[in-house]
Amino acid sequence: MSAWRLGSLDPCRSHRYKLSLEISNGEQRCDYGYGACCLWCRIWFRYPLGCPWQVKWECHLSDATAIAIAASRQPPARWLATLMAVAVLVFLLAPFAALVFATDWHDFQFAPGDLGAIRVSLFYSGLALMLVVLAGTPLAWWLAHCHYRGKWLVDALLLLPLLTPPLAMGILLSSFYGPYSPVGGLFSQAGLYLTNTASAFVLAQIYGAMPYYVLAARAAFEGVSEELEQISRTLGRNRWQTFWLVTLPLARLGLTAGVALAWVRAMGEFGIVLIVAYFPQGIPVKLWVNLQDIGLGAVYPLLWVFFLVAVPLPLWLGLRSRRQGMF
Amino acid sequence: MDIRYQLEKPVVLDVQMQVRDFTVLLGLSGEGKTLLLKAIAGLIPARGQPFTGLAAERRPIGYLPQGYALFPHLRAWENVAFPLPRGAGRRAQAMNLLTRVGLVDLAERYPAALSGGQRQRVALARALARRPELLLLDEPTSALDMATRDEILDELIREVHDFGVPVLAVSHDPHLAMLADHMAVLLDGRVVQEGSPREVFARPTTMGAARLLGFRNFLAGRVEEMGGAGMVVAGADWRLRTGLQHGMHSGMAVTVAIRSEDLVPGDALRGSAPNALKLQVVGLQEEGVALRVRMEGTLCLDMLLPRIQCEGRSLALGTDLWVQVAPEHVHVMAG
Repeated sequence: MSAWRLGSLDPCRSHRYKLSLEISNGEQRCDYGYGACCLWCRIWFRYPLGCPWQVKWECHLSDATAIAIAASRQPPARWLATLMAVAVLVFLLAPFAALVFATDWHDFQFAPGDLGAIRVSLFYSGLALMLVVLAGTPLAWWLAHCHYRGKWLVDALLLLPLLTPPLAMGILLSSFYGPYSPVGGLFSQAGLYLTNTASAFVLAQIYGAMPYYVLAARAAFEGVSEELEQISRTLGRNRWQTFWLVTLPLARLGLTAGVALAWVRAMGEFGIVLIVAYFPQGIPVKLWVNLQDIGLGAVYPLLWVFFLVAVPLPLWLGLRSRRQGMF
Repeated sequence: MDIRYQLEKPVVLDVQMQVRDFTVLLGLSGEGKTLLLKAIAGLIPARGQPFTGLAAERRPIGYLPQGYALFPHLRAWENVAFPLPRGAGRRAQAMNLLTRVGLVDLAERYPAALSGGQRQRVALARALARRPELLLLDEPTSALDMATRDEILDELIREVHDFGVPVLAVSHDPHLAMLADHMAVLLDGRVVQEGSPREVFARPTTMGAARLLGFRNFLAGRVEEMGGAGMVVAGADWRLRTGLQHGMHSGMAVTVAIRSEDLVPGDALRGSAPNALKLQVVGLQEEGVALRVRMEGTLCLDMLLPRIQCEGRSLALGTDLWVQVAPEHVHVMAG
């Protein structure tokens, strides 16, 4: 074995760090540059200060050969990514800023009937949300757990109400539940009128919100390990207890997201409600009526109320579930 | 406890075996070992005894799957208390079980904050909280790292002995089987051999079982001689003395199995020692501190040399080497 010497190494010309390296096998000693470490005759270099470049250096004392591999990717231009992210966020939030400036704060007053619309939206959206959760949760669980031939068809059918434009959905509901349809006729005979009534309003909100809830809840249930549910059974808990004690707590993040989404959808449903339940007027229809009858200035107070009542629940649920998600 | 379970899908299984104290069912990956445990636990449809016809929640078993499946949303003591009925003493019972597995100090931790071995012991305490008649362990060594595996296994076996519950552990790890009180070998959906680990490891009955138990050398030959002290088995260009084995007769076609670690270099003995063979080294591979030597000549053999045997010996490819194997280490199987 003969002593050998290697001078300076500059694997990255675009970078200000240079490595100078000197190895002497006579004394089995390595002198190395900034940021390097040595382990016997195998040496790894890592460039400091966040540079992702990495050099792996191997030398074989027996034949005095050395191979340097200086390969990595260019550091990403972080400032560019940050700039783009900020630009997109500004784009998304700009209209909300406009609401602040467009509102006439000196003459901030509700139009006649606005308070009634707020009551209608809050009460019936709450009722619709409850029904969506009660009916949608078992369906979502069944979709997540049952495996059978042709399941793709059920999946596609589930997407149908989601993909249908709200106005078209309203027309379909009107055709199906309207007083002149066979189904609507049967309900009418039972004293339940499904156009322009509170029941119709709730029905429209259910159709608008349930597909979103079911999709979110199904994904949440699918995310729960089947093994944990099986273990619960081997520990003496039946299917119902397993659902309450294991499935539901573990799916709660996704279920909460589903509830929040369903609430916003129900509160903001306009297209279906406009066709099926113009009366009683909730916030979205009243906004449209104010816009038509009074003008743009009349919608802002109600719009503020809409944001104040629709957004806090999903925000609160989302933040709460995220905090509890840290086991 | 006698176990007999039959399964048609997704793999065909017909398992009949005994479970005594700590029993290991050894089988290759994909043989259906996990499915067998799930069938016994009532989690998949199957025919068999015991517990047939009972729903999963009514079977008196404790089941520890791979990875232990602790509930991530519950603390360690809440996991242990999961199968216990609601009542005033529930927490105390759970803490008592955690004390027995030595984890009472970690009772308030969530599973994510526990190590692999600690999770295993919490899962064990949880499974035992139901007072099961049978404990099922699925690959209990798979989630453990090599550094702590032996220690954790020793503790696990001591704990299940303390609790006095029969255990059926399934594994592909022969090392685990060596530690068992009783073992069985699963091959092609059936138990091909069962007995004490000492007996099964020394005398596998089939080539498949021998492979699973760590034999690396297999030679096809015939019984040439039978005497009071032993037998001679011969192939095309080789003869090996073996211990006497029952059920053999002269002229019978047999398979000889030899463990790599039972072959030793025999330079000083040359041809005078029994079962001394002169072979050429054709392959050398380091296995940690040991050396695996592949040799060819009148027959092909694979030898594992421990570090102490390597010292002072210069082995190189192409050199001739005398090796020998004790007659009692030459295992003969029918067929």
